[in-house]
Amino acid sequence: MTRLIAGLCLLLIAVALFSLHAGLSFYSPATVWSALAGGEGADALIVRTLRVPRTLIGLAVGAALGLSGLLMQTVTRNPVAEPGLLGVNAGAALAVTLAVTVFGTGSLAGIGAAAVAGALLTTGLVFAISLSAGGSGNPATTLLAGFTVAALLASFTQTLLLVDETALETLLFWLSGSFADRPLTLLQLGGPLLVLGAGGSLVLASALDVLRLDDTSAQSIGLNVAAVRLGALALAALLAAGAVAMAGPVMFLGLAAPHLARLMTGPVLPSIRHLVFLSMLTGAVLATSADILARLIVAPGEAPMSAVLALIGVPMLIHILRRRKGLVT
Amino acid sequence: MPFVIPAQRLLVPCLLLLVLTIAATGTGSSFMPPERVVAAFLGQGARMDEVIVWKLRLPRVALAIVAGAALAIAGALLQRVVRNPMASPSVLGITDGAAVGVVLFLWLFSDQANILQVSVHWQPLAAILGAAAFGGLVTFLALADRGGNRPLKIILYGIALAALAKAAVTLLIIVGPVYRASQALTWLTGSVGAAHWQDVLVLGTGLVLVVPFLVWNRVTFRQLALDPQSATLTGLSLSRAQFALLSGAVFLTALAAAHVGAIGFVGLMAPHIARVFHGQFRSGYLLATALTGSLLVLGADTLARIIAPPLELPAGALTALVGAPLFLYLLLKGRRSHA
Repeated sequence: MTRLIAGLCLLLIAVALFSLHAGLSFYSPATVWSALAGGEGADALIVRTLRVPRTLIGLAVGAALGLSGLLMQTVTRNPVAEPGLLGVNAGAALAVTLAVTVFGTGSLAGIGAAAVAGALLTTGLVFAISLSAGGSGNPATTLLAGFTVAALLASFTQTLLLVDETALETLLFWLSGSFADRPLTLLQLGGPLLVLGAGGSLVLASALDVLRLDDTSAQSIGLNVAAVRLGALALAALLAAGAVAMAGPVMFLGLAAPHLARLMTGPVLPSIRHLVFLSMLTGAVLATSADILARLIVAPGEAPMSAVLALIGVPMLIHILRRRKGLVT
Repeated sequence: MPFVIPAQRLLVPCLLLLVLTIAATGTGSSFMPPERVVAAFLGQGARMDEVIVWKLRLPRVALAIVAGAALAIAGALLQRVVRNPMASPSVLGITDGAAVGVVLFLWLFSDQANILQVSVHWQPLAAILGAAAFGGLVTFLALADRGGNRPLKIILYGIALAALAKAAVTLLIIVGPVYRASQALTWLTGSVGAAHWQDVLVLGTGLVLVVPFLVWNRVTFRQLALDPQSATLTGLSLSRAQFALLSGAVFLTALAAAHVGAIGFVGLMAPHIARVFHGQFRSGYLLATALTGSLLVLGADTLARIIAPPLELPAGALTALVGAPLFLYLLLKGRRSHA
């Protein structure tokens, strides 16, 4: 397990470094190093002001979404739970749009607070709906509720943007979900949320291990099931909020990362503590790779990263749906 | 079972639709009082009024009415087949499939200068092909899945493929020199803004063609409301019935999506509303649903025109705004809605 985590760390460093070299124009390692060392010239400027922020934001967003997906999947025992599919991203995005259009918020803290509020509210809403629809353990009901809420919130966002054209210009780009041209200061917002989420997950890890049993067994061991569930979902919402504030709504990362992490461990069922690290690393690698692909596949244009992730994520979702016997009861 | 429709029950929605039609036709850049609208309808109005009403406003109103009816019926069929009140045409991936068809068509047949090489009248056909392709793919995936509860699986695969279709549309818009890319984008929100009598004619014809199919399947539609075992005991071939009604839903959704795009929540809401005021086991339920769908889309489009003039919101954004509270109420009210 330690070896796997170490290997993933190395892979992550390699992908991140490649991300600094790859793009519309490929740079030699010499160019990149001199840029990082504070060199002069256009190339150095591109590396320092465009590619470095993009890579760092990608790593943070990927890690946050990977962990958020893991928490949601564990707590709900639902293999297709993730912030994008369940509408949490859409909720955070709507809250940010509201903050900008209605309240004229421009500050980072304001946007962050809005994203957090939106993510928490939407998480509560979706799980309340799926619970009241008698489907707490039914992935299909949760997915339907999430899809519908996501569609609903997205159309609110569209309406707001149509009414307010100046907001449209500033937000549309952010709403497309990408790591490009994001100010590095966003890391001051997403970083703490990521640390908080990771720390909280590690604290809850042993409780979450117990929660893998059915509720009755977990309760008889003395676990406060409702409290653990609530805490973990709140952490998942915070992580998703951080990711949305940094990159806009990104689908499928939270779905794919934990599944890939479990695939890599083979037949062993890893502890949640290990899975926390694995999901974060896998998410970061996936996000950076998808971003590199988005730069290259339709060059000289740039593909939206959301599209690249969908091309990876949808076959995966279909595979999960097919494989799971008893997913739909 | 005698085939009678309790007319007096449908009188109120019919009257509402008539009133709304007159109001919607009167609304616009120049307001027209109801008596002038009615006069123009009957051919007794001023010449100018008649041009405005018949050439400009009525196509849009009529398109909203037929599109709403098509989406609503598709929603009712789906909810009954899937036995889940949250099923709606948009989760089938068909609406987004239609958008893929349209964007692909524009991409293939545009030349370097973004001029379309073929007549734009082929566009609805492209949309229907796209919708059918995605509908077929979703159905194929569900059939190849040997797990239980096939109808619900269809919905889940639909959600997955809708995401894929959205990604494909975004990619195509970015990659290709697409003629009228902005128009392709309106498909994704749904709007009846660019209405012509021809659209109304095609959609209306499609609706009329579906009527005998619905009458033919009316008993099947009722049997499907039972649980699977009982339905089979009443002599229903479950898989055949599901396939027939699903095909109907796919056809109607594709038809509507091809002309007005993805107007959301109509197919979701209309059956619920009709159940409340009409009852889902009374004959004429589908007709009540269709009327409700027409009312929803026409109301949404009219609101969308007067809410922030001169800006016109897409009707699809409004149907969601109107439908949201209702949808949540229905869901939180519990599971009596299990069709």
